[in-house]
Amino acid sequence: MVEFDLVAPRSADEAFAALRAAAPDGAAVLAGGTDLLPDVDEGRQRPRVVVSLRHLPWRTLDWAGPSLTIGSTLPLRALEQDPDLVRRFPGLAEAIRDVGSVALRHRATLGGNVVRAAPTSDLVPVLLALDAEVEIVGPRGTRRLPVDRFVRASRRVDLGPEELVRAVWFPEARPSAYRWQRVRPANDISQVAVAAACSPADRRWRIAVGGVAPRPVRIPSAAEALGAGAPTAAAVARAARAAADAVAFPTDRRASADYRRHLVATLVERVVDAVVRAEGFPR
Amino acid sequence: MTPASETAGRPDARAKLHGAVRYGTDLESPGMLWGALVPAPRPSGAVRRLDLSAARALPGVVAIGPDDLDRLLPPAYRSAERPLFAAASIDYGFQPIAAVAAPTRAAARAAAEAVRATVDPAPVVADVESIFPDWPGPEAVGSPHVAAHVHAVRGDVDAAFRDADRVVRETYRTASVHQVALEPHACLARVDGDRWTVRTSTQSPFGTREDLATMLGLPESAIEVAGTWVGGGFGGKGAPLLEPYALLLARASGRPVRLALDYAEEFRLGRTTLPAVVRMETAVRDGTISGRRVRLLLDVGAALPGRDFATGYSIGFLLGPYRTPTFEVEGFGVRTHKPPFGPHRAPFAPQCAFVVESHLDHVAREVGLDPEAFRAAHLWREGEATPLGQPVGPFGLAAAFERARATARAWRAAAPPGHGVGVAGGFWSTGTGAGGELRLRLAPSEVVLEVGEREIGSGSVVAGLRAVAVRVLGLPADRIRVESLGTAEAPFDSGVFGSRTVAVLGRAIEAAAAELRSILAARLGAGGPVEFGIDGERIHVRADPAGGRIDRPLADLLTPDERGEGGVVVVGKHYGRGGTIDESLVRAGTFYGYTDFTGAAHVAEVAVDRATGAVRVVRYTAFQDVGTLVDPPAARAQVEGGIAMGLGTALTEEAIWSDDGRLLNPGLLDYRIPTFGEVPPIEVEFLEGFPGAGPFGAKGLGEPPIIPVPAAIALAVREACGAHATELPVTAERTARALKLL
Ligand SMILES: Cc1cc2nc3c(=O)[nH]c(=O)nc-3n(C[C@H](O)[C@H](O)[C@H](O)COP(=O)(O)OP(=O)(O)OC[C@H]3O[C@@H](n4cnc5c(N)ncnc54)[C@H](O)[C@@H]3O)c2cc1C
Repeated sequence: MVEFDLVAPRSADEAFAALRAAAPDGAAVLAGGTDLLPDVDEGRQRPRVVVSLRHLPWRTLDWAGPSLTIGSTLPLRALEQDPDLVRRFPGLAEAIRDVGSVALRHRATLGGNVVRAAPTSDLVPVLLALDAEVEIVGPRGTRRLPVDRFVRASRRVDLGPEELVRAVWFPEARPSAYRWQRVRPANDISQVAVAAACSPADRRWRIAVGGVAPRPVRIPSAAEALGAGAPTAAAVARAARAAADAVAFPTDRRASADYRRHLVATLVERVVDAVVRAEGFPR
Repeated sequence: MTPASETAGRPDARAKLHGAVRYGTDLESPGMLWGALVPAPRPSGAVRRLDLSAARALPGVVAIGPDDLDRLLPPAYRSAERPLFAAASIDYGFQPIAAVAAPTRAAARAAAEAVRATVDPAPVVADVESIFPDWPGPEAVGSPHVAAHVHAVRGDVDAAFRDADRVVRETYRTASVHQVALEPHACLARVDGDRWTVRTSTQSPFGTREDLATMLGLPESAIEVAGTWVGGGFGGKGAPLLEPYALLLARASGRPVRLALDYAEEFRLGRTTLPAVVRMETAVRDGTISGRRVRLLLDVGAALPGRDFATGYSIGFLLGPYRTPTFEVEGFGVRTHKPPFGPHRAPFAPQCAFVVESHLDHVAREVGLDPEAFRAAHLWREGEATPLGQPVGPFGLAAAFERARATARAWRAAAPPGHGVGVAGGFWSTGTGAGGELRLRLAPSEVVLEVGEREIGSGSVVAGLRAVAVRVLGLPADRIRVESLGTAEAPFDSGVFGSRTVAVLGRAIEAAAAELRSILAARLGAGGPVEFGIDGERIHVRADPAGGRIDRPLADLLTPDERGEGGVVVVGKHYGRGGTIDESLVRAGTFYGYTDFTGAAHVAEVAVDRATGAVRVVRYTAFQDVGTLVDPPAARAQVEGGIAMGLGTALTEEAIWSDDGRLLNPGLLDYRIPTFGEVPPIEVEFLEGFPGAGPFGAKGLGEPPIIPVPAAIALAVREACGAHATELPVTAERTARALKLL
């Protein structure tokens, strides 16, 4: 049996104090625990103190004009059941519904997913395609960082020892989509995944690929190949090829590099097609 | 006869739903220690030095290795075929080289990690094809790499191939699949003086006792094996795995010792189906099979030479349920540095059915015949003999296959583009060769069936035997109870495996009931048939002789001794016969006959994503020969479960070893069993009227439903997209390659 002290602060300041008291390396932050607790169980993390975020008032969903701020500790299940989110951020909703199982999503959070920064995360690619930013709070104040700069590699993000992710901010609702390939549809890790979004403001595309080490990546060459607004079939084919060529895919027990390369091209075509059909697509 | 609906129901369901049932993994005892095994650090080599001192220096830790066995066991342990701890020769990865016990689970793990071993490495045989890159020639017979060689020939095979209109040759490969019982292996052992007792999650308490006696060099009478509720077996819990180590640690420490695997260990140490390569050659003349050659290379892991059963047992399934005038079959059980091959629900039969059905489907296409009609035309019928010379008794496969084809026709007419429908058959035999006994206690207000095995999840013990007793005795189900006893008290039985429990112990119930009736007829002075009935709480015994009706409470008929024992006690026995084959065909090795043939034909509809190769099973129907339905809801559950499990074998399950013999996916993330999301709507239709050797003509049903699944799905995939699968599992990537997308 693994033992640790569990504290559940009622304010961010109390949380910072609890983290400082256990420093250095003695504390871990707990949101849904779906990544943290397996880590603790298998000895990858050995915290003396676990700081639970459950009493912090961060389970929020705030709309401000075209932008959206999602509180880091809101369970994913609540997000996928929000009709506005599903309509205005279809790609994000799709990706969330693809995380694990319903039972898991009652606990798992968006904040936990970005901080875990798994190469196979189903949410990071969509966050990249939506130009999302993380809102970070700490004893010295608040800062905001694009997800593309926040996430570095598996379990490595730009976050100080006493800092917490309070929310994820999305600048605008975008027609978007997410497609993956897995050996098994549920409770499995994507062999490769693609997110796409097209901004109604500048009509430009964003394409991101997940399931690749060391982290999900944007593919600017694929986005550029698509041009502005609705792409031609030839442009989609160019984008698919660009995505397949841009990433050095690994061969491992989940798939060969050849298969991943083939999949990514197929998924780019599908994801672009879904975005073009989405509500509000800029024609 | 009692309506089937009154026999149904699961007496264990409520307790299981409420979490009140204690499984092997729940076993605890005051003062117990937690055990842990120390695994060999490499899959092959010799342990040059084993240093237990650091482990022993930890507080409360007991550590034992090969040098301790002489003081813990009588000398007879040395004649066991495989040493308890690997020393001079490591046979497989994670084979135990030592064992430890400590006051907590964490302390036990720490102690296991503190054991130091120096190993002289030896080359690793990771797979069969690395040892026999071409195919085993004559030199392979007697080679240390071969644990079994079987060979049989009927007729002039060369002539059949020479005179054929067409010969079709193919090679198939199948993967290793694990049982994935939710409960890993677990037991709790204690040793008091000369009494060695282990409570364990086992499918076979008596078989475990027998094996333990050999391994530990003890008389069977010194050992008691008591079961627990078993959280799933599927063949994986038929033989001892942890029990000898738990007993040794209990002996060494003087304390009860609990030993349980975590799930990664379960994958690494469990005995299960290993990979195989099969070569199929079929000669066709005038649209009919005129000859076949079947060659099998079966990875049997670290099976001891001469001790492999799987090769000889499987090879008959590779001939399939099809007429074949001449044939040659040859199989090699090849040793590798994996744990020894072990049974997995209908051991290796789903893989064989996949190979046979896919191959014969392909043969038909190659010669321009309708693939399903071709197979149907060759199916065995009652009254014929199998290719290996076994008589075929009542056998529902041909009827099931026709029903399946009719369903397939209807589905095809409605199938959208990208969908395909597959039909596959399979056969099995009920394990009636393994006999057994039970004790029936007829008490004034209840009937108790005392057995030596535990319920393993299918319901065959607690509900299946009760359903038989309901029919045999004519008493309501709520008056009948099954009680599982340890080996010290229970009558002998072989165990819950081979789809035999209801078939064999059901016959034992019939035998016990007949004896009971004759005892009570004499006491009633009836001279004729005796019936049982219920009056309020009390069981009555009735007869209708010519002189008028007799009806007495059982309590009035008991002797004083019986009152002391709580009722009339009789032991029912059933020892059936195993199957035999025509031994004149055998050139080498041991072949096993099958008994009591049962058949199933399945229809699968799949949708294939042509750009990725991904397969979704859309709907599924099974036609199952059961002889006689004993407990319809339980029977249906067996078929649905078999199909769900077979889905994994078909599409996603595969234990993957590296070239240096390491298991790369020892966990449920990368070893993928289906989730409910992948299980399609399932229809089940039972075919009665082909009676088997069980009670009322029932046939075993635990294993048969999984057999045709991979074949039906693979054939549906072929119809959907043209990809001919020659390898299991049929993963999306393999299908994409077959479609030449990569
Ligand atoms: C069975 C199973 C299936 C899964 N399937 C998928 C899948 O399909 N797709 C997928 O993407 N993921 C999957 N996951 C991973 C996991 O569920 C997600 O990453 C989840 O979103 C993590 O959120 P959480 O709230 O549970 O994080 P936690 O486990 O609580 O935390 C994860 C990490 O982030 C830190 N952390 C959490 N919140 C904050 C915060 N606000 N500020 C600072 N640090 C924080 C924690 O300290 C920890 O290091 C699966 C996990 C399991 C167990």
